[in-house]
Amino acid sequence: MTAVRVAQVLLTAFFFGLTFEGIGRKVTARIQKRYGPPWYQNFIDVFKTLTKHGWTHGWIFDFGVLMALGGVIATLSFVPLGNLVAFPGLDNFFVIVYLFTVGALGMAMGMVGTGNPWASIGVARALTLMLGYEVPYLIVITSMLYFYKTSNISNIIAAQGEIWNIFRFPIGALVAFISLQGMLGKEPFEAPIAPAEIASGPMVELSAKYMGLLMLMNTFMEFVEISLFVDFFLGGGTYFVFLLKYLVVWILAVMISAVLPRFRIEQAVAFYWTVPILLAFLQAFLVINGWVF
Amino acid sequence: MMQTLITYLAVGSIVGYLLSKVNRHIGPIVLFALSIYSLIILWNLPTGAVENLYGFEGVLKFTALSRYFSILSLIVFASFSFFNISWIDKAKNPHAFNALSILTLLGTLGIFFSSNLIVLYIFWELAVLGSLFIVPMGKEESRKAAIWYIVISSIGTYMFLYGVFMLYSQYNTFDVFEIAKYLPHESSSFKWIVLILLLAAGIAKSGIFPLHTWLRNVHGNAPDTFSAVLSGQLVKMGSYILALVLTIFPVSVMFSEFYNGINLLSYLLIWLGNISILVGTLMAIKQNDMKMLIAYSTVANSGYILIGLATLDKVGYAGGLFHVINHALAATMIFLSFAAVVYRTGTTKIDELGGLIHRMPVTFVTYLVGIISLAGIPPTSGFISKWMIFQSLVSRGMFVTEMFTFIGSIGSFLYVFRPLAGVFLGQLKSKHKDVREAPIFMTIPMILLVTLTVLWGIFPQQVLMWITDIQKEFSMTVFQFEGTKLMTNMGYWDTWTVFVMFAVGFIIAAVIYILMPKGKKIPLEDQYTSGEFLHNYDLYHYASKFYAFFEREYEGHPSFEDLYLSFVNVLKAVGKGVDYLARREASAYLFWTAVVLVILLWVRW
Amino acid sequence: MSKIDERSVWEKIADQLRSRSMWMLHYCTGCGAVELPPSMTSRFDMERLGMGPMATPRQADIFLITGYLSAKTLRRVIYTYEKMADPKYVIGFGSCTINGGIYYDSYSTINRLDYYIPVDLYIAGCMPRPEAILNAFNQLMEMIRKGEANGWKRYKENYEWYKQNQLRSLGEVIVHDEFHE
Repeated sequence: MTAVRVAQVLLTAFFFGLTFEGIGRKVTARIQKRYGPPWYQNFIDVFKTLTKHGWTHGWIFDFGVLMALGGVIATLSFVPLGNLVAFPGLDNFFVIVYLFTVGALGMAMGMVGTGNPWASIGVARALTLMLGYEVPYLIVITSMLYFYKTSNISNIIAAQGEIWNIFRFPIGALVAFISLQGMLGKEPFEAPIAPAEIASGPMVELSAKYMGLLMLMNTFMEFVEISLFVDFFLGGGTYFVFLLKYLVVWILAVMISAVLPRFRIEQAVAFYWTVPILLAFLQAFLVINGWVF
Repeated sequence: MMQTLITYLAVGSIVGYLLSKVNRHIGPIVLFALSIYSLIILWNLPTGAVENLYGFEGVLKFTALSRYFSILSLIVFASFSFFNISWIDKAKNPHAFNALSILTLLGTLGIFFSSNLIVLYIFWELAVLGSLFIVPMGKEESRKAAIWYIVISSIGTYMFLYGVFMLYSQYNTFDVFEIAKYLPHESSSFKWIVLILLLAAGIAKSGIFPLHTWLRNVHGNAPDTFSAVLSGQLVKMGSYILALVLTIFPVSVMFSEFYNGINLLSYLLIWLGNISILVGTLMAIKQNDMKMLIAYSTVANSGYILIGLATLDKVGYAGGLFHVINHALAATMIFLSFAAVVYRTGTTKIDELGGLIHRMPVTFVTYLVGIISLAGIPPTSGFISKWMIFQSLVSRGMFVTEMFTFIGSIGSFLYVFRPLAGVFLGQLKSKHKDVREAPIFMTIPMILLVTLTVLWGIFPQQVLMWITDIQKEFSMTVFQFEGTKLMTNMGYWDTWTVFVMFAVGFIIAAVIYILMPKGKKIPLEDQYTSGEFLHNYDLYHYASKFYAFFEREYEGHPSFEDLYLSFVNVLKAVGKGVDYLARREASAYLFWTAVVLVILLWVRW
Repeated sequence: MSKIDERSVWEKIADQLRSRSMWMLHYCTGCGAVELPPSMTSRFDMERLGMGPMATPRQADIFLITGYLSAKTLRRVIYTYEKMADPKYVIGFGSCTINGGIYYDSYSTINRLDYYIPVDLYIAGCMPRPEAILNAFNQLMEMIRKGEANGWKRYKENYEWYKQNQLRSLGEVIVHDEFHE
């Protein structure tokens, strides 16, 4: 049974993740008064890259790519998609957050292993940005864990009932959404992969199937990040309700990113460590005193 | 048995010295044999055994805490000595190095055995002396580093000694178990003073703010392999004192509650831990010397250990203890891999190296697993302890402390990545084109440590057994686990399932990878260069000022090292004044004559 | 049907995918680059064909030579082309790539691109308008689907010949002078 549920989670992330990315491209195009690619464009892109004949810079590059995708697949299988939980009881928040970094480390290691300095700069920026967005995000989420006295995500989904956490913890939801924008690497927090500035950063030496595998990894990462937001703040829900909520959050993030320019990396960190962190502490203060709607 | 071990080690120190005179490779073998022998003896020794030491009655007691710390010390010493069999070629004074490292082991084991505070103090000084004379055998600045070491260590030990004497004048005994019975009934000011004095030794030794400044100098400049012992083992002596003092005296009963079940003393200690994490992390991020970088990371990790221990609950305390063994293994792996790099290339500067993964893959893997454990990423054991500390903090709602631990945790990704990218990945320097992998005696202990870390990350039962034994001994509530399933009030997780899923994910990725067209191997010099032709690929490597954009944000930070150095300058100025007045010159004679005359006139004799 | 045109079933499927997702490297050698922004933005919107700009040659599928080439830029063009992953396609923009255009008699202008790297498709004109460019892209997609865009295979097969031409014109592709060492 577990294997079936894991397969279901992975296939959902693969199919809907890529579809929603395609829809996101469509939305961006419409904001820019363009027609945009078809919704299945990302499937074509991934499969096309997989068919090409690429270059590799040595075993660490190959290993890094495999570790990246493998780590993210492992993370994904622990994330509850609404009421679809592959491992009931094992969806501990900290385990998911730290498993997540296995994939990120694999990617960083493989990309720097190519020996291209642009990749190193991109990774250095990505890590610095991570220092920015993770701190307020984790404070908000842990204040919710403290409130519900559990660190199991499905327990929190169950505890929300009719009133979603976005109404109980509005400040926290705002902070988490700002952090989500950084996690997704969308504007204004896009400095790590700035294509015109540092030649797409970590991805600079990626060709063919390596590119395809990392595109899949990126899709899965986005799926984990947004799923966590939906589970924590929008009350999860049944399979299709969950996907609907997911789509709403995703399109909102895409729309914001479509109209904004880019922060420099130190500006992004300075921003995260002022406004969102203060709001996060305000939320935590409200939670400690029991002032929750 | 404990007395016998101490005798063996004392004799072994002399024997090691003499045999090293014959052949310098024998010394490390003696130390290796002794540490493996001690490991086997102590593994099987039942806890609670009380022994005499050379006629002093009942001063040695083998507790569960002693077993835990001695086993981790012996693992560190065993890998250190095995590694040294090759490395000793580069040591400056091999015989003294060997003898003193055996002496250091003797001192540390003695500390863990002693139940008598004055005996503990004597062993402590022995360990400090042993290591003190090894430190100046390193780089050029290591003589100055030794002064840092002895000064800050003495601050801790003399405060400890003063506390011990205060206790003796009160109760007429040095036995820590006896004292623990009386202390809770004392006046609160006496309790505060004594506990702070005792804890000072632990704080100084484990590099907690504000006594953290010695770590950068000492770990950075000590002989390369000895840094592994310094960071992996000697710093843990401080953690031992912290763990012992915080639990043997019922701190949570003795002091009033301050915040969600944390007493005031623990709360202050947690704040010291917070500041250590912040200072250690931010300073580690900007280091260019890889050994100094990990030295600062030791400051941050000691902060984690202190926070875990000071929460004094079943999860947090267990997490703190688990973090001790994790950090010991991780720091040993990292410093040993650095020692291998320095052995082959002769530099510790990150921007003078690069691309060594293509020449030293085993060293790279050691460093990689070391940092994965240090940064607390599953499936290594480092994550388990961090998870436990986080669970404990969240269940108490300590959000400010959480902020510091999160900064430390994510900051650790930043600073461990700097040597990874600068030393091991990136472009291989042309002068290092024909560097070879470290000799086999170096790679064997590294591989064994890697295996142990991963193994304990997947099957942590053995370590958790030791930890729960300690908790039982101090009659705390015990951390719960079933097989590989670790349980807290806030939820549980299963190390085995996570590992299996990781393997499954890896297999799925590998299947896609294998099915698709094979990538063609190209040399490192085949790079995207924005269409430019490069001929010097040494320069096409991003290693210096790795986080320049972030370092800029806290450039003008206040520094405690500078503050202490300004104290030194004040002392030097006073000394110069005294010097000036004590010179055998006319002006000095004139001055003293004038002073005498003035006094005479003033008193009107 | 020559050997170069043979495709397995998998290659045929792959070519269908490749034709619908072409990532381009806009290495802007000449004035033709100015025609690309209108092709990308809302008037002509090449993303609806699955095309988009990419940052590095490693990721790209098609290589646009937008305008005239000098001896200096040709070196970079060859260097960049060899970094691209197979299969890769080249489009020559404007008359400059065909016969040198209005600078045909300059001392350092390269008059025919396909002596040096294989070109799958030329767009005539000085400069071609976005309509022509999109028409060319459609044409290239059709060629890929039919398996006619085989420049990358020709380059491998006739590598000696191409190399010989490159060396004859440039002396050496990768320059060694005081500015580069």
